[in-house]
Amino acid sequence: MLRPFELCEPTSVAEASKILAQHGEDARIYAGGTELILAMKMGLLHFDHLVNIKGIAGLGGIRFDPAANAVRIGGATRHREIELSPVVRERIPVVAEMESHVANVRVREQGTLGGNLSFADPHSDPATLLQVYNATVTLEKAGGKRTIPLGQLFRGPYDVTAEGDEVLSEVTVPDLPRRMAAAYLRFGILERPSVGVGVAVGLENGGVTSVRIAVGCVGPVPRRMPEAEVVLQGKSLAEAEALLPAAGEAAGRASEAVSDLHGSAEYKEHIVKVLIGRAFRAAVQQLT
Amino acid sequence: MKFEKTVTVKASREAVWKFLWDVPRVAACIPGCKEARVVEEGKRYAATVAERVGPFKVEFPLSIEVLEAQAPERLKARAGGRDGKVDGMLKVEMDLHLVEAGGTTEIRLSADVNILGKLGTLGHSIVIRKGDEVVGKFAEGLRAQLES
Repeated sequence: MLRPFELCEPTSVAEASKILAQHGEDARIYAGGTELILAMKMGLLHFDHLVNIKGIAGLGGIRFDPAANAVRIGGATRHREIELSPVVRERIPVVAEMESHVANVRVREQGTLGGNLSFADPHSDPATLLQVYNATVTLEKAGGKRTIPLGQLFRGPYDVTAEGDEVLSEVTVPDLPRRMAAAYLRFGILERPSVGVGVAVGLENGGVTSVRIAVGCVGPVPRRMPEAEVVLQGKSLAEAEALLPAAGEAAGRASEAVSDLHGSAEYKEHIVKVLIGRAFRAAVQQLT
Repeated sequence: MKFEKTVTVKASREAVWKFLWDVPRVAACIPGCKEARVVEEGKRYAATVAERVGPFKVEFPLSIEVLEAQAPERLKARAGGRDGKVDGMLKVEMDLHLVEAGGTTEIRLSADVNILGKLGTLGHSIVIRKGDEVVGKFAEGLRAQLES
């Protein structure tokens, strides 16, 4: 049952940040609440103060920044907005496609991208795919702001490197370079996906000039897999395609899978391998 | 959920066995152990173990009961406790074997860890990772204490 709490409604990031700093672990940012309120209702978490950031101008919205050649998404932007955004569909369509499969439409209408990333549930589609785009997140507080690569946000399950008084104000997703395409595949039958794989491939003159692979849901944090990337990087397309199982196995081994309700570790490693192969091919198909 | 760890310690089996009954020193090896005391020497003990995963915190006041003590080779114990704030109960069954080899002792630790209640159902995967980490740190902690 949800215990009483104070709902704070700051109108600026600085104000929100001060409230968070003042109450420390007794306060938490509240946006969509699709994970937070659920956990609080179940009695697994409690905060005496919830800091509602939906009233802060500038934390919402999606725009393309030509100077950075990147799509900028406000931290409090709902998944549904991203899914339907003309800017996202034009510039980074695979992200729109991924967002359209996050949870269900009720969660997407309420939950935010910043919230998803900040809660750091290992079973996160955005946290996985956005690392393939080399996305960055901006963490803002009363004193200033800093921007870090998305992969550096995650320290462990439900554990982020952001400080307690920082607000995830923006997610910046660079356009993929020319001659590069991405694909995202997920698998699972439970509420949350069991395996998520994002792949981006760059081809030039029949050779794989760059490859980016991210695996989520399986390990303690979603992350890029240099163990698999190195197998395919710099190979001819034919060689790379023959090496896909090896790359997939390398990713499986590196994924730190444990046997749980989502499946055995071996099973998950196998699915990682299959999805990497399929996602690679799906990306290449967009370029040829 | 079963976790198994084996550590080899540069100490005699007798020394290791004696160490296991040194409550403050063993408590220091248990990650998150806040306090430990003897309730009935050789039979019952009490300890409080706290852990956290991100914002999720648990604190289990444990009742520990020694089931079997075959000096100096085998120790079986069980522990249980309920978190006061979150719907979760911890149950641990531990089986410890000491095998001497020359001047060293192999500590074979087998722990069956279960978290019941909402915490166990929803946090299943996390409990597995954390359980493995905690048992591993405990085994390493024993070695560090014994070799210091």
